Amino acid sequence: MPTGERRRLSRRAFLRLALLGGIAAGIGAADRLTWPAGLARYLSWAGRGQTLRLNGRPAVVALGHCSSYAEVAACLAETWALADMPDVQGKRVLIKPNLIDFIEGHPITTAPEVVAGLIDLLRRRGAAEIAVGDGPGFRRDARPVAEACGLLALLAGRQVPFVDLNYDDPRPVTAKDGWFFSVAEIWLPRHVREADLIVSVPKLKTHHWAGVSLSLKNLFGIVPGARYGWPKNLLHFNGITPSILGLYQTVRPVVAVVDGIIGMEGDGPLFGAEVPHGLLAVGRDPVAVDATCAELMGFAPSTVHHLAVARWAGVGQIERIELRGAAADRLRRRYRPPPAG
Amino acid sequence: MRSLTEGTARDFLWRTQNADGGWGYAVGHTSNVEATAAVVLALADAATAGIPFASVPPRSQSAEEQGADRAIAWLVAAQRPDGGWGLTADDPVSGWQTAWAVLALARPDASEATVRRGVAWLLAVPLMRLEKAEDVRWMKDILGIDPALRGWPWLPGQAGWVEPTALALLALAPWAERTDVRPRLDEGIHFLLDRHCQGGGWNVGNPVMFSRPLPPRAIPTAWALLALNRLMPEAVRAEDVATLRKEMHADGSTSALAWGLLALRSLGQDDRVAADRLAARQAADGGWDGSPYHTAIALRALR
Repeated sequence: MPTGERRRLSRRAFLRLALLGGIAAGIGAADRLTWPAGLARYLSWAGRGQTLRLNGRPAVVALGHCSSYAEVAACLAETWALADMPDVQGKRVLIKPNLIDFIEGHPITTAPEVVAGLIDLLRRRGAAEIAVGDGPGFRRDARPVAEACGLLALLAGRQVPFVDLNYDDPRPVTAKDGWFFSVAEIWLPRHVREADLIVSVPKLKTHHWAGVSLSLKNLFGIVPGARYGWPKNLLHFNGITPSILGLYQTVRPVVAVVDGIIGMEGDGPLFGAEVPHGLLAVGRDPVAVDATCAELMGFAPSTVHHLAVARWAGVGQIERIELRGAAADRLRRRYRPPPAG
Repeated sequence: MRSLTEGTARDFLWRTQNADGGWGYAVGHTSNVEATAAVVLALADAATAGIPFASVPPRSQSAEEQGADRAIAWLVAAQRPDGGWGLTADDPVSGWQTAWAVLALARPDASEATVRRGVAWLLAVPLMRLEKAEDVRWMKDILGIDPALRGWPWLPGQAGWVEPTALALLALAPWAERTDVRPRLDEGIHFLLDRHCQGGGWNVGNPVMFSRPLPPRAIPTAWALLALNRLMPEAVRAEDVATLRKEMHADGSTSALAWGLLALRSLGQDDRVAADRLAARQAADGGWDGSPYHTAIALRALR
C-alpha cells in the first residue's frame, strides 16, 4: 500500500456526517433547554398532554352552592353523587384537610364541618377505615392547630383518628413521573402509603408562591417534616410546580373536595381576608377541580403556573370539564390576588 | 415530679422500645434517631438523678441497663459512612438528626470516635448561602433575613433554619473553645439573632413575608433560647422569654410545654401552670400522646 495516500471523504459522506453532528448538537441543546427534566421526559409529558387535550375523557366537577357550614352535609352528599366519585366501599381513606396554622381572624384552615360531613358521607358509603391527617410546614405539631380550629373535638365525637403526618413513620417510595429532579424516592407517611384513596380537602384561598392553594397545593402537607424539616425545603428547591405535580402523581388516587364556603383572598396563605363565597367543589380529577375553582375565583387557569403545566403535561384534564350541580355563573367571584411571589 | 409518674413513664419507654434497640415517634413505628436520642437523654438524666443507667458487668445488668446499652448501640450503628445520621438507620442521607445523635452520644463519652465524626459532619455540612448583593437585597426585602449568614439546614445543601441551627449549636457547644469551631458557632448565633420575630421569639426562620411579620412559635423559640443561653447568655432578651411563656401556653401541646419548660429551666426560671398542664397530659399507660419521643421530653421537663 503506497504511503502517504489519504482517503478522501466524499461530499455525500461529509453531508451525512454534518447532518448527524447537527442532530446530535440539536439533541444536546434541547436536552439543556429542557433541563432538569431532560428531553425524553419533556417529550413524553408534551405528548401525553396533547393526547389528553385531543382525546381525553371529560372530567366531571360538581359544584354546590352552600351559603353556610350548617348546610354542608346535604351539599356534600349531593355533589359527591353528582361527581361520579369512586366507590369507597371497604376502602382505607385518608382525609387531608389544610391545617397550615391557626391565626385568629384569618380563615386559613379547612372548616371542620366539611371534614365531619365528609366522614359521615364516607361511612354511609361503606369506607372501611377513615383517618384525618396533615403535616403543617410551619408548626412542629399539627395537633394544636387541629384543636384550635375545632377539628379534634369533631373527630373525637366520631371516633376518627387524627394523624400528624409529619411524624407518621415516614418511609421511602418511588417518586413517579419524573417531577422530583434530584431524588428518585420521596419519604411519605404510613397513612399516605397505605391509603386506598386520599381525599384532598383544601381551603379555597390565594397563595403568594403558588397563586392559588387548592387540592393540589394542599398535598404539600403529606410530606413529613421529620425527614424534610419545617418548612419542607426540598419542595422549594425542587420547585413549587414540579413538587405539586410530583406529589400528586406519586400518591394517586387523590380526589378533591374544596371548601370554598368561606374562601380567602389577598395575602394568602396566612393573612388573607375572608370571602363569603358559598362554593363547594367536588371531583375525582383534582386538576380539573382546581382549574374550575381558580376560574371561579377570577383567575384564568393558564395564569396559575402549576395548573398551566399540569394541562401541558397531561397530568389532569382542564380542556374538557363537565360541570354539574349549581350554576357556575352564580358562583363567580373576583378574589384579590396575593402579593407577587 | 411524683415518683409514681416517673416510674410509669419509664415503664412506658421500656415497653415501647423496638426489638432493634431504638424508638419510633409512636409505638410500633420504625426506630428513628430523634426519638431514640431523646429517650437516651431522658434516661441519662435519670442516671444523673441516681437511677442506674451506665453499663455495668453483664451478670448484674438489669433489663433497663441492657435496654439503654441497646439504644446506644442502635444509635452508633445508625451512623452513616459520612459521619452523620439520617432519619432512620437505613436513610441514605445524613441530616439535621446528626445534632441529636451527637447530643445523646456525647453525654456518656464526648471523646468517642463516633461523636467526633458527627461533630466533623456538623462543621462541614454544605448549605445554601446567598451572597450576591441583589439576592441579599431581595431576600431582605421579601423575607426580612440576611441570606449570607450561615445557620444549619435540615438537609445538606438547603437553606439554614432556626431549629436545626439551634440544635447544632447545642450539639457543638462542648467544643466551643476549639478554634475551628468557635467562628462557626458565632455565625450560627448571629443567624439566630437575625431570624428574631418582631416583638420577640422565633418561628421556623421566616420573621417576615412580603413585609408582613410572621408570628413566633413555641418550639423554635424554646430551642433558640436553649442554644443562646448555652453559648451567648447576654443575647437572651426578656421579650423572647415572655414570648415563650405566651406561646407555649397558646400551643398547649406536650412538646411545646416540655420544650418551653426545659428552656425556662436553663434560664433559672419556672412555670408551675405549664408543669401542671404537662403532667396532666400523661396518659394511663404512663406515656404522653402514645409517643416515646413526647414521653422522653416530658420526663426531662418534669424532673
